[in-house]
Formats: sequence, structure tokens, C-alpha cells
Amino acid sequence: MPDFSVIIDNLPYFLWGRAFDGEPGGLLLTLIMALEAGVLSLILGVLMALAAWLFGGWTRRILFAWADFIRGIPLIFVIFWLYFLIPALFRTDLPDTLTVVLALAWFTSAAVMYSTLAGIEALSRGQEEAGVSAGFSRLEVLLYVLLPQAVPNILPSLAGVLISLIKDTSLAFIVNVPELTTVAGQVNNRTQIYATEIFIFTGAVYFVLCGLISLSAQYYQKRTQPAG
Amino acid sequence: MNGIALDFAGVLTGLPGKWLLSGFLMTIYVTIAGSVLATILAVLLLGLRIAPSAPVRFVGIAIIEVFRNTPILVQFLFWYFAAFSLLPSSVRIFISTDHAWAVLPVNNLILSPEFLSAAWGLGLFTAAFLAEELRAGLNAMPRGQREAAISQGFGHWATLRLVLLPQALANSWQPLVTQYLNLMKLSSLASAISLAELTYQVRNIESYNAHTFEAFAVGTALYLLLGLVLGQILTRLGPRPHTNRPARPTPSEAAAKVVGASSDA
Repeated sequence: MPDFSVIIDNLPYFLWGRAFDGEPGGLLLTLIMALEAGVLSLILGVLMALAAWLFGGWTRRILFAWADFIRGIPLIFVIFWLYFLIPALFRTDLPDTLTVVLALAWFTSAAVMYSTLAGIEALSRGQEEAGVSAGFSRLEVLLYVLLPQAVPNILPSLAGVLISLIKDTSLAFIVNVPELTTVAGQVNNRTQIYATEIFIFTGAVYFVLCGLISLSAQYYQKRTQPAG
Repeated sequence: MNGIALDFAGVLTGLPGKWLLSGFLMTIYVTIAGSVLATILAVLLLGLRIAPSAPVRFVGIAIIEVFRNTPILVQFLFWYFAAFSLLPSSVRIFISTDHAWAVLPVNNLILSPEFLSAAWGLGLFTAAFLAEELRAGLNAMPRGQREAAISQGFGHWATLRLVLLPQALANSWQPLVTQYLNLMKLSSLASAISLAELTYQVRNIESYNAHTFEAFAVGTALYLLLGLVLGQILTRLGPRPHTNRPARPTPSEAAAKVVGASSDA
């Protein structure tokens, strides 16, 4: 029979690690990492999308090649590369958590770029033409006419990107950053016989987290597009 | 960089070279095994997901959502540390014993807890995404297709198998290929349960002779190469899209599809 007392006994460790000693861990660290990487990748991804739309041509081709390269290799290699490149290039080590956050942001920005660009380009061309003929520059058209209209279409796909990002934070396990999956592995190594309980609980936490985001995105879509 | 001379011979020859080749082949084996499993399981999950009976549909939704919304790394850990130990001991002993017939070149054991957990984990995770892509392809079809078939006397399953699925497959082939490519890339995480695939061997070299840059570069190139080749093969094998395609999706439908495509880790 499953014995979930191992979860109850270690619950604070699963939820926030050693947060009171200044070292957040577990679920709390998962959320912090996802939030940091999410904000960074949103900024980076939207900027790349804007650049690709504004300049087109080679800028767009290079950005796409860059994004395809990042999406073409396993995320774990993006993390490895940053671990290797940051000390080699800047002669300084970053904290492990920050390195992983940067790798996640780098990787995720490619998906944000695709979603944003798709949202902008799904609008009818008449929007752009109307803006330009009203005397706006292309940058102004993009920022004041296209982007605001694209946001409702982009938000659901960004919810998908956020779900991926939360699941991707689990890769910190491989470099031993103590977020939820790593903490689960540690408790499993220590207790040995409760693997079933530990990994079902861990999976359930991610499931609830990702499920809530997915449900809110569906609710938002239904509310904004009743006719759809 | 920083005066370090690149030495690719240090990773491509001798012991490291052998490891890389072995790891690369293992990545291919586990990708093939995982893809076959994923395809079979996807058909089963799709059958549950669109069954006429509501409770059966609910079971389909539950399985698909659980496997889509948890990290594959946690799934690997579950299959490897938890589920494997729940098997009957005779089965575990059989799997853990060395069998000469289960060794593929180069020295890759494919009847091991690591390989089975990885292939099964990749298969089930990917199947959940494949089933949803297929369902999206089915939903994108005009209702008339189904009604025409029913009015011709086809039953539920016959309509599905003979009329709807072939078209859905053709229309959603590209997103399906993306899922198989994801499976290949996600196999890198099986290194966390000690499957000796490419990522595992790259890290092996890193600790063996510290040729970190070269090992990462070769690993990166091999994953890119495998992705390109696999993508080409699957695209060519795939059915051609039908000419009577459904109308272009509206932006909100297109966005909804992107939500379903979040299949990383």
C-alpha cells in the first residue's frame, strides 16, 4: 500500500526547501525560476519578433535560423553550453540557479518569438495599410495598431509556452539545482523505498500547476471569443 | 578561446570516440523504440478520447492530460525508480540479466531497466501529444465528411478508420513529425536514469579527458544532424495533404493549436 507519510514528513522541504536559511528550494524555487525565465524570455522573444517584423529580409532569416537552432538541440545542451561558455567568456562563475534560468530564458525566447510573430501576422494586412496611410511610421503601426490587437490571440499560445517552461525547470535536476524534481530525487535517495509516493506526488504538483494555467487559458479564450 | 587549442581527435578517436558512437546509436535505438510505442499508444488514446461513451472519453482525457502536464523527467524517474520495482521479481530478474541476443552494436543493451523505462516513458509522453494532434486534425475537418459517411451506412469506427483518420493524418502530418522530433530530443533526458545514450556519453568524455568544448560541439552537431535526417525521412514518408483542405483556420483557432503544441520536457 502506498504510504504518503513520507510526503507529509518532508512537506516543507518539498514546498520551499531551506527558504528560511536564505536558500529557497522545492516548489518555491520552481516557481521563482519559471517566473524569472518567463519574464526574461518574454522580453527577449517579443523584441526578436518585433525586429523580425520591422526589418524583415536578412534580420528575419537570421532570427529564424537562430530560433531553429535553439529548438533543434535538446534543452539540456543549451544548459551545458551556458555552463561552459559563461566562465570561459566572462572569467566568472554565475550561481547554478542563475545559469539554468538564463538557459531556460534563452531556449524559451525562441518559442515566444514564434508565437508573437504568428499573432501579429494573423491580423489582416489592411490593419497595417490603414495605419501607414493614417500617417503612422511602421514602428508606430506595430506598437499602437498591430501589437494591441494581436495580444488576445498571442495570450493562449503564451500559456502553452509557460506550461512548457514550468515543465522545463525540472531539467535543473541534471545540474543539481534544488528545485522540486531535484528535491524529490534527494528525498528518494535518502528514503529509498518510497519512490512511488514521491514521484506521484511530484508529478501531481506539476500537473495541478500546469493544469491551472491551461484551464485559465481556455476560460480566457471562451470569454473573449464567444462566437468562436 | 582563451588559448585553449581545439583537439577534436581527443573526442573522436580512441575510447571517447567509441563512447560517442555507442551513445549516438543508443539514441537512435531508443528513439525508434519510443516512436513505435508512441504510435501504438497514440492510436489507443485517440480511440478512448473520441469514443461515443462519455466515461470512456473521460478516461482518455485524464490519461492524456496527466502525461502532457507533467515533466518527462519526473515520468522517467517514476518509471525507473517506482514502476519497475513493482514488477514481479521474476520479470525484473529476467530484464536485469544480460542476454546476448539483446545486445545491439556497439555494446548497447536494449533489455535493461534503463532502456525499457526510457522507451516506455518517451512512448507514453509522446503518445499523449500525438493523440491531441490527431484529434485537432479530426476537428478541423468539415462536418459534412462525417455526415456523408454515416449516411452511406458506415458505423462510428468505420467512418473514423476509412474516411476521417486518413484525411486527419494527412492534414496534421507536420505537427506529428514535430512530436517525433521532440521525442528524439527528449531522449537526452534519459541520461538522468543512466541510459548510456549520446548525452550520457558526452558527459562521460567531459569527466574523462576534460575536452568539454569539443564533446559538447560534437554532441550538438549529432543531435542537429539526426533531427534533420529524421525530419526529412518522416516528411517524405508522410501522406500528401488532400486538395480539399478545410478553410484556413482563424487566428484564434491557430492560437489554440499552438497551446496544444507545448511538448517540451
